[in-house]
Amino acid sequence: MTSKILPQWASKPCAMGIDEAGRGPVLGPMVYGCLYCAQSYMKTLATLSFADSKTLKEEKREELFETLKTNDSIGWAVDVIDPRELSAKMLKKNKINLNEISHDSAMGLIDRVLKMGVLLSEVYIDTVGDPGKYEMKLSKSFPSIKFVVAKKADSLYPVVSGASIVAKVTRDRALREWVLDETAENMQRNFGSGYPGDPQTKAWLENHKHHVFGFPTLVRFSWGTCNSYFKDIAEVFWESDNLDEDGGGRNNNNGKRQLKLSNVGFTTSKIRSEEIESSGKGRSRFFQARKLEHLTNF
Amino acid sequence: MLIKNWGSILEAKSKFARPVLYLPRRNPTVWIGRAKAEMENATVDLKPHGQDLSGRVHQLPCCVKHDGPASVSHYFKPKHNGVADEGLPLQEAHFRGRLLQGTTLQLPHGYSGFVLAKKTSPPSSKQNSNSWDTKATFQDITYWNHDYVPSHNDELFRAFHWLTVAKALHNPVTPEELASSSFAL
Repeated sequence: MTSKILPQWASKPCAMGIDEAGRGPVLGPMVYGCLYCAQSYMKTLATLSFADSKTLKEEKREELFETLKTNDSIGWAVDVIDPRELSAKMLKKNKINLNEISHDSAMGLIDRVLKMGVLLSEVYIDTVGDPGKYEMKLSKSFPSIKFVVAKKADSLYPVVSGASIVAKVTRDRALREWVLDETAENMQRNFGSGYPGDPQTKAWLENHKHHVFGFPTLVRFSWGTCNSYFKDIAEVFWESDNLDEDGGGRNNNNGKRQLKLSNVGFTTSKIRSEEIESSGKGRSRFFQARKLEHLTNF
Repeated sequence: MLIKNWGSILEAKSKFARPVLYLPRRNPTVWIGRAKAEMENATVDLKPHGQDLSGRVHQLPCCVKHDGPASVSHYFKPKHNGVADEGLPLQEAHFRGRLLQGTTLQLPHGYSGFVLAKKTSPPSSKQNSNSWDTKATFQDITYWNHDYVPSHNDELFRAFHWLTVAKALHNPVTPEELASSSFAL
């Protein structure tokens, strides 16, 4: 989703603001948005009453988004990160944390806008993690751009305020129009804001937890919030988590110590033989490598 | 051959019936064999004509501590997702927030997969029965990896090497073969 064909002003030095929406919520996509314009337009931009999107009412944000879309002096783009992607990346064997995902998304937007041919000279961005380190990372990837990485950039720089409106409106619409993967009959759409503290979100989570599947894929399984809902559902032990155990007993996403294969009732009733079986000790390498086992007792 | 691998067997009934997930208590156990088998203190009755679950048997890289039906087809939505370098057709699915990559493996010709359940013995009989009955059969397994693309190097694929080895071990050797192999030695 990007705006129009390349306008003439884009070949003059431009400034861009980047902001995110939906970083905190336990469900739905996280959206990165950017807004850019010629540096010569910055003063006018400041008069367009873009404030930090969080301080605006939803209708006002929608209205401002529609206005900026029709403004020929402004360009914008968004990156919508699916909750399935967030969960999957954060629950990989080599976990990718949310800061990294955020950095990648922001850098992806910069890259996309540069490739369109926009002459970006300055980028304003709300910090994720330490501002100094983030700025270094950005400058290294894009040496020709001057970066301003700041806390609360969305309320300090109108170009970032604009980006925050683009991101927030996109996130709200995406959630409103979300097509649930699950086809079970009792699926409802009253997600609320998605913030873990929102009573409507809490009620939705409570009503949509599933004994085997956990939650619909709209939910970010990697969020700590999920654990409080998962207390009484079926436990799941992952092969990939178990391999980690040798590395010093790291926690799984349930916050509990990993159990050994033999502790979770896999094979025969005899504990001793279970341990031997699951480790494959005493078996020929041919069978070990194939996870095959000779059973004398069924 | 008895394949014991860690993972779970998911099964869903036909589209119109209530979808069901079976996770046998002694999971994960798949018996692949060709006849009625007898083991020490156990009888396994392999009937070839149970409900055919081909296309609906999944092996997950995890153990789900649940034994009973679940609405698999409403929640577990594999999507076809191209072809791996080795030419394996790939699928993608999510379970408990994790991305799974899988492929469907046809059982070798002449073999079948069986879903077994322990025969319930009448409460009066004190003897602990260890008899198993066929509940369903299948001709393929879709197995899923967490975090890596399926390949022919995966354990489940390699487990089938045993069939070739077993055949070589059990086939009668002709005098000619014996002569030529001792010559080679």
